Amino acid sequence: MGEFEVHRVRFFGLVPAGVRCLAYQRNGARLALARTDGAVEIYNFAANYFQEKVIPGNEARSVEALCWGAGDRLFGAGLGGEITEYDLSRLCVAHSVDGGGGPIWTMAANSSGTQLAIGCEDGSIKLFEVVPGGIQFERNMDRRQGRILCLSWHPSDTYIAAGSIDAIHVFNVSSGQTVQGIMVSYHMQKVKRKCIVWSIAVLSSGTVVTSDSFGRVQFWDWEQGTLQESHTVSTSAVLSLSVSEKEDSIIVGTSTGATYQFQLLPVKTGSLEKRWVRTKPFQHHTHDVRAVVHSSTALISGGLDAQLVIRPLMEKVQKKGYDAALRKFTFPHRRLVCCARKARLLLFQFSQHLELWRLGSTDKTGKDGEVLPLCRMPEHLVQLKSKGPEHIYCSCVSPCGSWVAYSTASRFHLYQVQYKGNSISVKKVPKVPKLVLPAYQLQFSADSGSLFIASAQGSVHVLQLLEPGGCKHLHTFWPPSGCPEAVYLLAVSADGHWLAAVGGDWAIHVYNLKCFKHHCTVPTYNCAVTALAIHPVTNNLVIAYSDQQLFEFSIPEKQYTAWSRMVQNSGLHKVWLERDSPITHITFNPKNPSHILLHDMYMFCILDKSLPLPDNSALLMNQSTLKQLPETARQWQLHAFKICKKFQPLLFADLLDENSLVMVERPIMDFKTQLPLPIQQKKFGT
Amino acid sequence: SPPSSEDEAPEEVSFGAAREVVETERKLMGEAARRHQELLKEKRRRRQELFVEQKVRSPLTARFAPPPGPAAAPRPTNCPLPAETEAAARGRAAGAGRRAALTGFTSLYLTRPKGNYTAVRLKDRSLTGLHQELAKDFLNAQLYGPDANRVQANEFFSLENKKDPVKKAAVQFVDKSWG
Repeated sequence: MGEFEVHRVRFFGLVPAGVRCLAYQRNGARLALARTDGAVEIYNFAANYFQEKVIPGNEARSVEALCWGAGDRLFGAGLGGEITEYDLSRLCVAHSVDGGGGPIWTMAANSSGTQLAIGCEDGSIKLFEVVPGGIQFERNMDRRQGRILCLSWHPSDTYIAAGSIDAIHVFNVSSGQTVQGIMVSYHMQKVKRKCIVWSIAVLSSGTVVTSDSFGRVQFWDWEQGTLQESHTVSTSAVLSLSVSEKEDSIIVGTSTGATYQFQLLPVKTGSLEKRWVRTKPFQHHTHDVRAVVHSSTALISGGLDAQLVIRPLMEKVQKKGYDAALRKFTFPHRRLVCCARKARLLLFQFSQHLELWRLGSTDKTGKDGEVLPLCRMPEHLVQLKSKGPEHIYCSCVSPCGSWVAYSTASRFHLYQVQYKGNSISVKKVPKVPKLVLPAYQLQFSADSGSLFIASAQGSVHVLQLLEPGGCKHLHTFWPPSGCPEAVYLLAVSADGHWLAAVGGDWAIHVYNLKCFKHHCTVPTYNCAVTALAIHPVTNNLVIAYSDQQLFEFSIPEKQYTAWSRMVQNSGLHKVWLERDSPITHITFNPKNPSHILLHDMYMFCILDKSLPLPDNSALLMNQSTLKQLPETARQWQLHAFKICKKFQPLLFADLLDENSLVMVERPIMDFKTQLPLPIQQKKFGT
Repeated sequence: SPPSSEDEAPEEVSFGAAREVVETERKLMGEAARRHQELLKEKRRRRQELFVEQKVRSPLTARFAPPPGPAAAPRPTNCPLPAETEAAARGRAAGAGRRAALTGFTSLYLTRPKGNYTAVRLKDRSLTGLHQELAKDFLNAQLYGPDANRVQANEFFSLENKKDPVKKAAVQFVDKSWG
């Protein structure tokens, strides 16, 4: 199949931001997630937990609470004191309203999603009404002393329970008056710390559940003002809790990274009396778990270790097997690395800057598995810092390495990079045409002569790049039947004839670049596209979907290829379909037209279309077995999928030339040291 | 023959007259001393004025100089300047215009020593920012404060290695700044 020299790159210093809030949309099966850097992401559970939308963060924006309102509207609030509505079609902030109470610590919607209650730094709880086009201040509740750190509506929306420092307050919603105040403190000798109530929930029965900084989960009868049950689950704070819809199960997250499940179980089998029992402990995270969600089938937790963990509950899952598997997501489901093949450059996208690196080189050869010494080290050529608080949406470098472009929420930047011997100069390209911003995806043409900009409402702009350093807007493509969502993926053919674009509605449109017309639309599939690429020789469009399906569509013939139909008929291997992460990049080898190179977070694969497809009884990852077999015996075992799992976690993989590959890895340990400090774990004998 | 006055008794002066003479002498001495003191004071005042005038020539002090006159109450020397509003400063600047005409006036305000304060524009440091910082400080103190039992990455991951089913060596970072 081939021998490759692999540039194993580990100098992409990406540090993903921790997970701060989670909000589950029950009817849509979508999860909204907010990170500590202000980024908001949407995961589509039905599409195999694909991260379908990302709204990049902002230095000035802090998100402390996230909730869904009526009509699938997403609201966030933070220490900046504002309630923000997010536009999920245009992936930006729709509008903001000042809460009027200083920093906002918590926010919750009522059961119908028509009212938002916020808990503020000044001790007040304010009610806002969700109206078309925005939110409107309704009224204040009775103001207490001490910042409101958490609040929860009773399912009937008649009262709200709020947690503060050393106290819980219960308010009647219609009158706004405090109807109960409960002191929550820790009566142990010599302990002078205040008891912080980090999270709260109200059950239909009227029981109020709280979690506090002393590691306790407590159940209160708010009317009597008495403590019903108290469970100490940890020596460190319990930061988050979530109750299931049926109110028979609770998940709590602690500072140590441990999560615990509480279940309402009968005292004795068959008895009517029930009590809350701490059942399952989990240790999926290494750092504080500040957000948890209890969905109908799974326990979901997000930690400051940047991981999102989805733990299906065995008894709730219908189909055993892969549906019941634990899912862990650390890195984004999109490319943050761009490769200029000819120039052997890599462009790394960080949240507020870009790094351009030149790969090193070696003049030695070796055997399989050997590490070759470098004669020239990789060089950090340019660092482009984005001015202002906005984070970067997308970036790209041209194949020749002379053009670099990136976009933030309100600004688009295009630079020319000139290499004169050993020195590098970066020049900003002036008079870039005014476009509707932000750009969601950028792609240079194969000849580095044009730049394609993915924009809102399914549109793609074509910018012609001119020497010595200018650009001109050539054309804008629009999908024929309109699209409310933005384009998030682009692919260009090597001959510069075709452009494929995927919008948030998952429709793939192919445009003709020679006559600037819409060419065709790929038949709709009920899953999100995670990667697509156009073959340089055949102009076949290869598509990877989030359910791990692969399709090959012939652009000139406007139909699926015979190979694609064969794949669909025989079906892909079970192990292939049960992979945890989506394919984020597809590329080709011009010297071997029947090869498709693709990768996900944990594997790199060369798909040889000329070889037979494996059936479920065959071993999918058979490279090591094949190596041990003699040449003659190998051909009976060969199948199309050649998978290598040596390089992980894999952020990017590409073919540099016919004999070399580049693999960008980001070992988890390399960034864990740069996260906020974890809690000390004690163990006997250490 | 020359009269020898040494043989004669001194002149007889009455007690009252002698007392009067002493008193007048004392008064004269006192007045002289006072005049001397006042002269010194005057000298000091003139020197002070000179220094003051030199300071007044700088436009910044002219702007922040309090209005002269007996109505102006003396301020303590360590009063922090950020507490003043821009409007009050403007008022004082108007008063400073009158400064040049007055002489023999000393003000404590303009001679106070350098305080430990910084003058900032309220427009640059928003109230929201201040509140946000306070809130973040509270959060940091609760989660990462002295009671939080936090540990460096090195120690944490070494312990993880020891707790693993397959025990591994403790973690030692090549880059010491990683903790």
